[in-house]
Amino acid sequence: MTTAAPHKREEQVDRIAWAKSLILFGMGIYLTLLILTGNLDNYINQRFAWLAGVGALLFFALGLTTLYRSLNPKRHEHEHHHYHISWDIILVVAFPLLLAILIPSRSLGIEAVNGGVSLNPVGVANLARSPLDRNILDWLREFDRASTPAQFNGTSVDVVGFVYREPIHPQDGFMLARFTMSCCVADAFPIGMPIIAAGAEEYAAGDWLRVKGQLKASAFGGDFLPVVFADAIKVVDEPRQPYLYP
Amino acid sequence: MRANHSPDRIKLIGLALLAGLLLAAIALQAQSAGRDFALVLSVFATRFLGIFVEAVPFLLLGSITSGLIETFIKSDDIMRFLPRNRLGAAIGGAFLGLVFPVCECGVVPVARRLFTKGTPVSLGVAFLLAAPFMNPIVFASTYIAFGFGTVFIGRIVITLLVAVIVGVVIGSFAKRSATLKPIALAGAHDAHAHCEHEEPSTRAKLIGALEIAGDEFFEMGRFLIFGSILAALMQTLVPQESLLALGTGPILSVVFMQILAYVLSVCSTVDSFLALAFVNTFTTGAIVSFLSFGPMVDIKSTLMFTGVFRRRIVLYLVLLPFVMNLLAGTLVNLILGYA
Repeated sequence: MTTAAPHKREEQVDRIAWAKSLILFGMGIYLTLLILTGNLDNYINQRFAWLAGVGALLFFALGLTTLYRSLNPKRHEHEHHHYHISWDIILVVAFPLLLAILIPSRSLGIEAVNGGVSLNPVGVANLARSPLDRNILDWLREFDRASTPAQFNGTSVDVVGFVYREPIHPQDGFMLARFTMSCCVADAFPIGMPIIAAGAEEYAAGDWLRVKGQLKASAFGGDFLPVVFADAIKVVDEPRQPYLYP
Repeated sequence: MRANHSPDRIKLIGLALLAGLLLAAIALQAQSAGRDFALVLSVFATRFLGIFVEAVPFLLLGSITSGLIETFIKSDDIMRFLPRNRLGAAIGGAFLGLVFPVCECGVVPVARRLFTKGTPVSLGVAFLLAAPFMNPIVFASTYIAFGFGTVFIGRIVITLLVAVIVGVVIGSFAKRSATLKPIALAGAHDAHAHCEHEEPSTRAKLIGALEIAGDEFFEMGRFLIFGSILAALMQTLVPQESLLALGTGPILSVVFMQILAYVLSVCSTVDSFLALAFVNTFTTGAIVSFLSFGPMVDIKSTLMFTGVFRRRIVLYLVLLPFVMNLLAGTLVNLILGYA
């Protein structure tokens, strides 16, 4: 511990107290902004959005108390304070805010695919959606339950995702991928459906597409599985909800 | 640290070095994968902030619970209701989570507070290991994900057994002062004792509790942040498929899932949904061990432990649960006939 003159030490403690309330309010404001701008959806499942709201409220409560304390310092009584919060701790705790301010908020996209897109669906529950309403996750679950890939031959498909390519994919094909997210991006996992289309090369990896077509069991990247033979492809914006929720 | 006139400056330089390392690792990954540095950095930021935003409300709730315990509960109150012998205390501690609903982000502040109130080591340790799972929210998420079956029952039984045994072991072989850091020892800053006669008003106590919670947030928050940085780095730098390629062996799969649980550091309230992603590729024993070991110990809680326990005890707190969960998970696999 430092042995600075007492008044200097007090001044130091005072500045740290201000820094603490600044960070606490900053985090409260950050969470509030995430909720208001909808950017929260980039990070956590919308099912848990209320948690961020609770977090913001608690941050404001703690920020207010800390502020109140720095405005009304207790005299010498109760000077047995608990922790020595030093500047290095303040800096570490400020790190998330720094990152949030410096780096624009984005969802996980093609550049976050780290070692391949899975054909296996997450989860087991199944919503009985009509074929044209099914998203990529719904389809993969259907495929998982089916006895043979040929079972879906001729079924119409209408799905949205981003283009993902691997060297083993055929010239006229790619995977249409989405990230699934159960809770937050920590468990985000890319899944995808194989697409075969005339002019598939035109689309760059990472492009968001809406693909309509028919399923047909075929060979694709070394597997035999239901493949979408596209008859209409449209470039679209990234959906407001980029992730699929199992 | 000692014999230095400004340890704070040393720490700040250390932090700057760490930040440099972080950027270097990301730059290296970007270069080797032929990707844009800014893009990889943005993936890292998204993953990090995702874990942080999801975990921080629980950390706040844990800090506030800790503040409330400090201001409203006298050590005598807890001691009165809990058994005194080591085994009884450990069993009590394992179930105490039902009274203090915290996940692993919030359990360490509460455990530390309990220690300063003089609770036995065996009780505190059992509480620390079991509480993140012994929690209505986690029961619900596990039930929703797996139903009432092997995984759900296995998770309860293994968690309780491991927590109680590790609590008794650590409680009996080490003295209190050799187990806990000075800051977590009873009376370390329990100077309230001498001013107890002027009982403060409830309002003053509430403000006091929030004030303590604020400090607790900073004290524990840095560990959450370091842990989240590590987990996000791992997810950004190590290919997921190469992780998944491992393991259907009855033992290897369990070892692997426990290491994964340790590294990922995902909150206990939500890890069941993550485990679902491995159901098709991994043995049931591995899934159960992932769910029972993960909430006990992971990167971020290990870092948090170092704020409460002495270094040697932290090592035991990681290794004992690891080995015992590994045995339990392997046993589940043998019973289910994976071998």
